[in-house]
Amino acid sequence: MSAPWWQTLKETARPQGDIRRRNASAWLPHVTELRSSMRHFADQDEVDMVVVGCGAGGATFTQRLAHAGWRVVCLEAGPFWDPERDWVSDESGSHHLYWNEPRVIGGSHPVPLGSNNSGRGVGGSMVHFAGYAPRLHPSDFRTRTLDGVGADWPLSYEELRPHYRRLEQELPVAGQFWPWGDPHPHPHPPHPVGGNGEVMLQGCAALGIEARVGPVAIVNGRFGNRPHCIYRGFCLQGCKVNAKASPLITHVPDAIVHGAEIRADAMVTRVETDPQGRRVTGVRYVRRGREHFQRAAAVAIAGYSIETPRLLLNSANSRFPDGLCNDHDLVGRYVMVQGAPQTAGRFPDEIRMYKAPPPEVSTEEFYETDPGKPYRRGYAIQTVSPLPITWAEHVAQQGHWGKDLRQRMTDYCHWATLGALCEFLPQARNRVTLADEKDRHGLPVARFDHYHCDNDDLLLEAATRTMERILRAAGATELMTIERYAHLVGGCRMGRTPEEGVVDADLRTFAIPNLFITDGSVLPTQGSANPALTIMALADRAATQLTGGTP
Amino acid sequence: MRRSPVSQAGGVAGRAGDWDTATAGVVLARLGPRPQPPLSFFTPAEEAAAEALLDHLLARRPGDPPVPVLSVIDARLSTGQGDGWRYADLPEDDRTWRRSLAALDEDARLRHDGRTFAALDYGDQDRLLHHIKQLGSRDWYGMPASHVWTLWTRYATAAYYAHPHAWDEIGFGGPAYPQGYLRLGRGLREPWEEPR
Repeated sequence: MSAPWWQTLKETARPQGDIRRRNASAWLPHVTELRSSMRHFADQDEVDMVVVGCGAGGATFTQRLAHAGWRVVCLEAGPFWDPERDWVSDESGSHHLYWNEPRVIGGSHPVPLGSNNSGRGVGGSMVHFAGYAPRLHPSDFRTRTLDGVGADWPLSYEELRPHYRRLEQELPVAGQFWPWGDPHPHPHPPHPVGGNGEVMLQGCAALGIEARVGPVAIVNGRFGNRPHCIYRGFCLQGCKVNAKASPLITHVPDAIVHGAEIRADAMVTRVETDPQGRRVTGVRYVRRGREHFQRAAAVAIAGYSIETPRLLLNSANSRFPDGLCNDHDLVGRYVMVQGAPQTAGRFPDEIRMYKAPPPEVSTEEFYETDPGKPYRRGYAIQTVSPLPITWAEHVAQQGHWGKDLRQRMTDYCHWATLGALCEFLPQARNRVTLADEKDRHGLPVARFDHYHCDNDDLLLEAATRTMERILRAAGATELMTIERYAHLVGGCRMGRTPEEGVVDADLRTFAIPNLFITDGSVLPTQGSANPALTIMALADRAATQLTGGTP
Repeated sequence: MRRSPVSQAGGVAGRAGDWDTATAGVVLARLGPRPQPPLSFFTPAEEAAAEALLDHLLARRPGDPPVPVLSVIDARLSTGQGDGWRYADLPEDDRTWRRSLAALDEDARLRHDGRTFAALDYGDQDRLLHHIKQLGSRDWYGMPASHVWTLWTRYATAAYYAHPHAWDEIGFGGPAYPQGYLRLGRGLREPWEEPR
């Protein structure tokens, strides 16, 4: 392995022709202009693949297949966004970016959905994700073998590595050389940091904890036709600048020029099979109040950890009475969220955490299992920087209200906030089922029950203590910690056998050979990394296997 | 320096001329007249209880700048604009609002000779709310008190801290597109940012 500086130099100075040849999105006209020339398929036309959902997994999969010459339709329940017209620099005005249809949450530790972990419209939840794009560590693929917890993946880190690298180049990811997991450089240099990032760097330095700027999927310098970041701090409200990556601008443009149709405002209600349930024949969907059936030679579901299991369960038929591909009671199980406690510190000087993108600095020093600790696996720590409404929720969740709340809020400019991502372990009882309640289409809505195990609680405690130490070391005079959750994965996990997983390592369902699941629901474990890059890499790998390409 | 037509407004809203049109449209609408009739979801009895509740949750005082909160909550509930989830042990948000406001009146009546929550004096209202807060996850009129409490504060703070007056109160710079921020880092201020 050559020195970090040499690897960084090689990666950042390399010609970009290969990126442009496999995905020219950044060099094409803006997606809003391309839409008028998009190809349209008829419902009766049996396309090669219909993809359900246009987020991280679905859009990447669509682009790769279209690029290889496949005839692809991607159905998306939400709208086809125009960033300039549809997105605003405002928290309250960005409510339409989330999946706000009814869902029920239960269990001993219910997980709020909506703004926290759902997406809607072309680009999916990456439209409003913070932008962190770390890889999983090699150990994440073998936690059962290494640590006796979680599950081993049916594929190794090495098999995913080339896909990670391709996606990092296409988003592209900016940040310092990454010393953790599989050490690697990033194609774009680290961004300047704001007050919150400085606090984390200073606190970590004082304690001897390694921290790095990045890795964020935000252009730093020009990339094709995409402009660089202007540090306005509204990453979570959709990037109007087009500097932060989302499939809407990183993969959909290339998919469109290669003949894919992105059919927005189309809510898929059911996957249909032949009478014997051996092959899927297409999907039913509702668009502008009318029901349609799109014929397809193959189907890929990419509706994420809640909607993908819900669609499979709602597609039950005589061959699959408990839900499509649910012969072994795995559909909807092992859904995971990361424990994401948030600790804020008050400083005498002004931090103004709303300036600069919320994702700035992170550390993975505590990511791996430490034999000296009473828990297995670990956690990552990152800057978060909530805007006023989210900050008010933080303060209110601490128990403050009335005069106390208002007074604390007037101090907004003096607070810095860190967030942890704790690797909660997969549990069969953390699952998505169908509730009695129906949505406006008459379909049962999803219910998500969530519980902690002892290891989860120990990790939460350890991560909180570390964040408090960092903030104190940076000079914080007062601390406030709240419990929350972040991200969603699992629910249709991959495995080596039909008893172990719903899909195999190539994301093909064991039960039906022409049905695929290409989203975050296939992850068997989650690590302490934000999942977007891994979801895209898995979809890229599945498409590569399918089209016979080389990564 | 470009002056916007709304710059007389001062504070964050005074810089609206620097914002993109989509953002300015959404944010400035909060300063303008509210739709008429002002409420369509809450009944007058619920309105009275809710206004009194919000006075406490947000410590509102007569001299405060006008920030619409109840009308914003009412609009959300009447159009079914939820957050995309509800607790399994509570009904949908609109029904929980109705039930919890009725429970507030019922609890007040029980303790104070049949008077509604809105009719109590400030101290009694405050004591009752402290009692509900202290119940934690225990039952309050068939609902887990803590889940009702977070529903109230979630809707109240989301409406209040969406308003430019509230941003001025806390020193938030507001929308920043297309100009962005130029001075990042501890202790650094844009020329228009007031010391806090």
